[in-house]
Amino acid sequence: MGLRSFFGILPPKLYYKDVSAPIEALPVPEKITLLWYRRTHSDLAVRVGTKVETGQDLARNGRGPFVSTVTGRVEEASTFLGVDSREYLAVQIRADQKDSFDPSVTSVAGLSETQPQTLRTGVNRAGFTALRSIIRDPRVWPTVDCLIISALDLDPFSIVNQQTFRDNPEQVEAAIELLARTTEASQCVLAVPDNLADIASKVSTGAATVAMVPPVYPNGLPEILAKKYGAGLLMKTYDAGFAGNTVVVSLEHALAMVNSLQSGRPMLEKTVTLSNGQDGKLRNFRVRIGTPVGEILKRASVEVQPKGKLILNGIMRGYSCFSDEQPITATTESVHVQSPSEVFFFQNTQCTNCGKCNSICPVDLEVNILGRLSEYGIFNKCRGLGVENCIECGLCAYVCPARRPLVHFMTLAKQGIKTVTDEPANMEEALACTACGPSCPAIRLFDFDTESDKEDSPKV
Amino acid sequence: MKALDITVSPAPHCHSGARITGVSYNFILALIPAMAMGAYYYGFDAIRVIAASIASAMIAEALIQSVLRRPITIADGSAAVSGLLLALILPASVPLYLVVVANFIGIIVAKQCFGGLGANPLNPALVGWAVIRITKAWAGYLDFDLALINYETGFILQYPLAVLKAEGPAGIAHFGLMDLFLGKQAGGIGSSAILCLLVGGIYLVLRGTIRWEIPASFLLGVVVIAGIFWLRNSSNYASPIFHILAGNVMIGAFFLSTDNATSPVNRWGMVAFGFCCGAMTVVLRAWSVYPDGVIFACLLMSLFVPLLDKMKKKQLLPPAVSPVTPQAISESAEVRSAS
Ligand code: SF4
Ligand code: SF4
Repeated sequence: MGLRSFFGILPPKLYYKDVSAPIEALPVPEKITLLWYRRTHSDLAVRVGTKVETGQDLARNGRGPFVSTVTGRVEEASTFLGVDSREYLAVQIRADQKDSFDPSVTSVAGLSETQPQTLRTGVNRAGFTALRSIIRDPRVWPTVDCLIISALDLDPFSIVNQQTFRDNPEQVEAAIELLARTTEASQCVLAVPDNLADIASKVSTGAATVAMVPPVYPNGLPEILAKKYGAGLLMKTYDAGFAGNTVVVSLEHALAMVNSLQSGRPMLEKTVTLSNGQDGKLRNFRVRIGTPVGEILKRASVEVQPKGKLILNGIMRGYSCFSDEQPITATTESVHVQSPSEVFFFQNTQCTNCGKCNSICPVDLEVNILGRLSEYGIFNKCRGLGVENCIECGLCAYVCPARRPLVHFMTLAKQGIKTVTDEPANMEEALACTACGPSCPAIRLFDFDTESDKEDSPKV
Repeated sequence: MKALDITVSPAPHCHSGARITGVSYNFILALIPAMAMGAYYYGFDAIRVIAASIASAMIAEALIQSVLRRPITIADGSAAVSGLLLALILPASVPLYLVVVANFIGIIVAKQCFGGLGANPLNPALVGWAVIRITKAWAGYLDFDLALINYETGFILQYPLAVLKAEGPAGIAHFGLMDLFLGKQAGGIGSSAILCLLVGGIYLVLRGTIRWEIPASFLLGVVVIAGIFWLRNSSNYASPIFHILAGNVMIGAFFLSTDNATSPVNRWGMVAFGFCCGAMTVVLRAWSVYPDGVIFACLLMSLFVPLLDKMKKKQLLPPAVSPVTPQAISESAEVRSAS
């Protein structure tokens, strides 16, 4: 992926693509899979065989929302071990082609005068929206210093938000107004990539200021937007509560939220960008949430070759899946297919201390030291060096001439800090983490011969 | 879910294409002009030393790695680079057995015993050189005035820094600064080719192989400290320009001090490192028994690298989390209903 220039004195620049691709809508697939993080069967209100309607909340009272995006019959509900060693739930629904909407879902009446708390309850009930993770309890709401609505994408190979901005500039103002009220933010910013300046100049943005952002990765990441154009710190939820002062919502989610509140229907569809390494063409598809990624590949006649790679959510931060049945979720931005020759393998070499990773890290970490500490399980020192501030942008590993799996080391350290409290006594446990994701059949981290372990991949 | 026969690995899923070999080959490429200059003036003797040095460095690395049962990494070119650098700071007449000994000590003791490329605290080439320099029986071979006595090069074969040490600034008046710049001075095979080294160094900076902060602050350190000496007492100390153009400063600034493993990686650490190397060079030249101080300055400053790398803004721990307790819920509800 020749993105490196001959002159290396400046760090390599990964530009976001400046292309427009019409959004193609896909029909409802035969079967969808809904993922629910950190939940088990006991949180479900439905059983195998139950008939569900579009928009119906499948969660047991008060534990949701967990919204069905199709009308159909629950076929299977299974748990699997996820990224953080917790149980995750996957519910499969065989879908009818015709939607019948759950009558209990109604729109919020009189949107323009509604109280913020009512709006938040509406957003919360609508299910798959960006704010939902923060609104656990609509009654408690942190002070938001800045709200950023971002027309930038998360990955150089994704153009979802860009395209949404190109297609619906007239809806932006309503979204800003409604979201500002919902979040009670004191300041609003609309972040637009430089290349869409002409559209941005025509859009009326109401109370929001427009920030023109150079379309260079990682400027589109929420953490970076919050740092550079917001009040400094991205708002995040933790098990115990929340921290931060800036909320970043992607434009697609913002429009979906307005739609939800107006129509009363939850967010049912997601747009994703499909790209592949061979022809570099980008295509946008709108699918039901829960659609297996294979459906998109079939429609676009793109095939994943044996030993190739299927990547969800972008080449920099995304994860590779082992099956084309992996569902599209509300936060899936892109699908990228690599042929075997494009697959990049990390190497088990030691750090040469060249410092490339340090100089490119957007949060200014000492990546060279952190990589070594994490490799040898000295997690408490990683904590002191601020590894928890790593946003996993992937740039360090992208530039490392020794080709070390640096992002993996950062994730390992974060996981290790959670598991190990002091000296590496609990090393075993920390290293047994499943940080490489629910989808890894064999840890092909290094270019080892993995022929033999194909059979014993875990069944989800 | 049905597993396909496809590859799974952690993010990111692409790479800039940079390799360790790229770093080494760029170094060698950047040193070719200096090598050519050495071969032009000193003929076959220079080629002999360079070849022997590169070969012995690579053999030493392969040997120790096979003894220690570690993967053999001579293909990455780092051993070749350190052999080449050692050759370029030696005089052309040096006996080959010394070259071999210096490389073996440099590679085995200073590099592989500490864990190989990236983990060595001291530059192997410099350690090899220093071993010869401080061994009494061998030090004479590094005296350029004696070593180059049999060569006919068309310029004065007196080592400028030795002359400066012996006679003070009055003695160096007959060295034209332009001659020094063009490499017409006695010295190591490549280290005296100032112009060639400058070109090669700038190439490395532009390619991003070395970090510009180190050479820039190195040269600045030399100029500032030599300037202070010179302004205070110009009859005792040479001008900053002379200090930059004579001896090992140019090869030191661009090639010796910038070795990845033995230099800091954080910006202000690099600046401090380079500046101190430059400053120490001038101090050693002025006050020590050795005519040139570049190599000892680099070695000494390398020991401070872990400390210098601490010159960085402290990273904050993640922010404190405000909890969601029933109390917080009722409080925030009260606040909202009151307002
Ligand atoms: S992934 Fe690497 S470059 Fe990005 S924030 Fe983390 S340590 Fe820094
Ligand atoms: S980029 Fe790789 S080799 Fe260079 S310092 Fe960072 S981890 Fe080490």
